[in-house]
Amino acid sequence: MMWRPVWALIEREIMRMVRQRGRLVSALVRPLIWLLVIGAGFGTLLGDEASGGYQRFLSPGLLGMVMLFAAMLVSLSVVYDKEFGIMRLLIISPLPHYWVVIAKTISGMVVAVVQAGAFAVLLALMGYIGGGVSLPLLVLGLFATALACASMGMLIAVWSSTLDNFAVIMNFVIFPVFFLSGALYPVQQLPDVLKIVAVVNPFTYGVDLLKHALVGGLAPPLGPDFAAAVDITVLLGFAVVAISVACLRFSHESAAGVLDFLRG
Amino acid sequence: MQVDVLPQSDTPLAIQATGLSKAYGELQAVDRLQLVIPAGQFFGLLGPNGSGKTSTIHMLTTLARPTAGQASVAGHDILRESVAVRREVGLVFQESALDRTLTVDENLRFAGMLRNLPRATIRQRSDELLELFNLSERRHMKVATLSGGMRRALDIARGVLHRPRVLFLDEPTLGLDVPSRRGIWRFIEQLRREEVMTVFLTTHYLEEAETCDQVAFLASGRIIGAGPPATLVRQFGHYVLEIDGTDLDTVAAVLSPRLGPCLREGGTASFRVLDEQVSFVELQAELNDGVQAVRWRRPNLNDVFLWVNDPALSVGLDI
Repeated sequence: MMWRPVWALIEREIMRMVRQRGRLVSALVRPLIWLLVIGAGFGTLLGDEASGGYQRFLSPGLLGMVMLFAAMLVSLSVVYDKEFGIMRLLIISPLPHYWVVIAKTISGMVVAVVQAGAFAVLLALMGYIGGGVSLPLLVLGLFATALACASMGMLIAVWSSTLDNFAVIMNFVIFPVFFLSGALYPVQQLPDVLKIVAVVNPFTYGVDLLKHALVGGLAPPLGPDFAAAVDITVLLGFAVVAISVACLRFSHESAAGVLDFLRG
Repeated sequence: MQVDVLPQSDTPLAIQATGLSKAYGELQAVDRLQLVIPAGQFFGLLGPNGSGKTSTIHMLTTLARPTAGQASVAGHDILRESVAVRREVGLVFQESALDRTLTVDENLRFAGMLRNLPRATIRQRSDELLELFNLSERRHMKVATLSGGMRRALDIARGVLHRPRVLFLDEPTLGLDVPSRRGIWRFIEQLRREEVMTVFLTTHYLEEAETCDQVAFLASGRIIGAGPPATLVRQFGHYVLEIDGTDLDTVAAVLSPRLGPCLREGGTASFRVLDEQVSFVELQAELNDGVQAVRWRRPNLNDVFLWVNDPALSVGLDI
């Protein structure tokens, strides 16, 4: 594995993230709005505004949301990169073409973890995280969830030669993945059909792992739905499969001429 | 510049292609291309837009897969050793491939890191190249703020950062104004003086290729002529005689018996003049009133291409 080229991509993504302050701010403000507006509203509805139980329940899901958006944006930018010529630079590098998939996924993961880390600090400062937090599980949960989100984005990116409309991906991938997980409501309490979708959705397990880390002590149904080992297995398993399929697809297409493939 | 055209047996070849072809569905973009380019040569692949120049470069740099034929670049097979080929070549794309959100320096560093160069090497090479390309003062500026010519220069600097053995330049001056084009050519000349490498250039500005050691004309995916520019021009003739007029049929009828067929473009008929001792005053006297202007000048590569490319003129080149 060549680390310097991978680091080059990570460094570029971080630099872009820091420079595009609007993107960074909105990445942090979006979940805050959910927490303060939706969280407070539903909390009132559930009659637990005093304890803030629902908002604590929401925290892992919102950390997941930060990573879902951040990682997907980086992965899907593969498709945009070609318009600004960066993809040309990547494919002319002396590396096998599947390397682009792996490096881009890793940089998506890193950007997502950085943003989620910042949001976790924010949550802690506001008092939504604290007491009974497992730091090792939190770190593991952040990395595993970010990796799964980035792989999911890459899987979509290698199948889309043109992404003219980011709103389509937003409406048909990011929102369903977020809503049909355990982020907003306990999986056990979902209607049967939705429950099946939630169980199939890898993002559910990321949120669940974060629940183990942050709200492991909450009484059911607000606590985790699955064992932590199940969560980790599903997340890593999904990432390995998704990245492998994406690499195969990218290598297969690039074997036929990567530029023809990129041209769409 | 006088350089041997035919590769001597002991000269290593930078590029060798046999029957190299690329089809996009029905369209045959490149048709059975043969190339033999010795190491260190400045080679120009010339032809109009859509003639297959870029497809050829993309095949040779492993970015497009040939539909038939084979090729090796810097001693590596483009199909079986694509990573090794990419390690040895530098490619400057037709469209700029810079990250506009990064600075000049950051673009070079990013490219260097992708090629696994140590940071110290990247810094040293960047200093040299930015100095050479007159960009030192702008190294901390965002690429988005650079002019078209400066961006092109940076594209080229990035293409040679890793000291490639073969540099591919795909239309390096496309879309630039005349001063910028001259600037880019000055840079390429300096670069060739300072670094030993083979340069494979494509352009449709034929006059820009006159400093090449060898050129090949490409039309509809086929090579229709090749050789050193000076030789091609010399073989073409001593002069080009251009006649503007309303009755070009008569002009052709009068002059063709002596000068051969003419090339017609709009209201102008051009003749090749092979005889150096020709008296243009005499020729002019034979023409009638329908003639508006008569000019003669030295031929250039553009003339060679136009004549070779027109099957009706059946001008063959000794290649």
